Amino acid sequence: MPDNQGLLRQHLGKLGLGSQREEEIIRELSEHLEDHAAALETRGVARQEAVEEALKTVPEWSELRNEILSAETEEATMNYQGTYRTKILWLPALGALTLSSSLLALLQFSGLVPRFYWLSDRMSGADYFTFYVPWLIALPVVGAVAALWSKRAGGEAIHRLLAALAPPIGLLGFFLISPFLTLLMYVLLPLFVNRAGHRQFAPTLHAPPLTGLLVLLVSWILLPAVALLLGAAPFLRKPHSQSSGYQQPE
Amino acid sequence: MVGIDIKIKRGSGKLAILALLDQEPLHGYEISKRIAQVTGGVLQFNLASLYPLLYRMEKRGWVKGKWEEAKSGRKRRYYHLTRNGKKQLAPLREEWGLFFQALHRIAGVAHAG
Repeated sequence: MPDNQGLLRQHLGKLGLGSQREEEIIRELSEHLEDHAAALETRGVARQEAVEEALKTVPEWSELRNEILSAETEEATMNYQGTYRTKILWLPALGALTLSSSLLALLQFSGLVPRFYWLSDRMSGADYFTFYVPWLIALPVVGAVAALWSKRAGGEAIHRLLAALAPPIGLLGFFLISPFLTLLMYVLLPLFVNRAGHRQFAPTLHAPPLTGLLVLLVSWILLPAVALLLGAAPFLRKPHSQSSGYQQPE
Repeated sequence: MVGIDIKIKRGSGKLAILALLDQEPLHGYEISKRIAQVTGGVLQFNLASLYPLLYRMEKRGWVKGKWEEAKSGRKRRYYHLTRNGKKQLAPLREEWGLFFQALHRIAGVAHAG
């Protein structure tokens, strides 16, 4: 067998894939040659001749080398993985985001007066709207569409779930960065205002009341997530075994 | 025996390999032997055509090669079907089924399905 490895190295040359991977490929191909030669030997072919016959199954070594290099390094593989992820996750997630925000806009512009429920903060005396009921009622459809889209594209349960939950995940991301954006605005705004010759602008920052934040999280993150999940649930289950439909010929 | 075009061979090879590995993990030589046996020699993969395909499929995460001891006591690189690979099986079967149906309609080519 070591002679097979030597022959393979001679034919393929240095692959430049890293010594470990290169060693593995040579070893694997060598095992294949060894099996092939052994099979020929059992049919009465002499050892040397059997090895030569096995080597002859590769018509062009340079072509094999290029094919291996292409398989190991080609950009298309990476592109394929990127495209695959786009198909199973990013596009359905974007679809869910677009659909949920369009629905929100449509409900507002259609004249349907949304039913708001108000919650008073006794500490600050402020009121916060909590539930945008028509939107919440429509969200299961969005969750179902996103999960089904991902499923049809070949996405696993986790991709379907993430695609369906894209709107609250996106909003959560926005809420998380919004304090920094607000802070940045408070730092930058006075500079522009002063440069324009206006009087000194001295904004003051107030920490938002905790009740307000909680209500915001529940009404725009938690409840939409539950509504989306309700719609996505039927499409999150694992499919039945895929091997049943295939029969190999006798 | 009628030769199969390399592109058809490559395309069908993916399905053949995935279908075989769906049954049990196999090493490269065993894969080529099984394909030849099952297809009556119509589809044949040798060292040059099989391994680039296997490496490509491994890069895509469809199969995973692991060095394991064979019955003979020799260490062989056995290919296992991954969850991602299993996912490819149904669409590939559907794709090839449609392909043969289309060929049947246009050229009267019968298929085994």
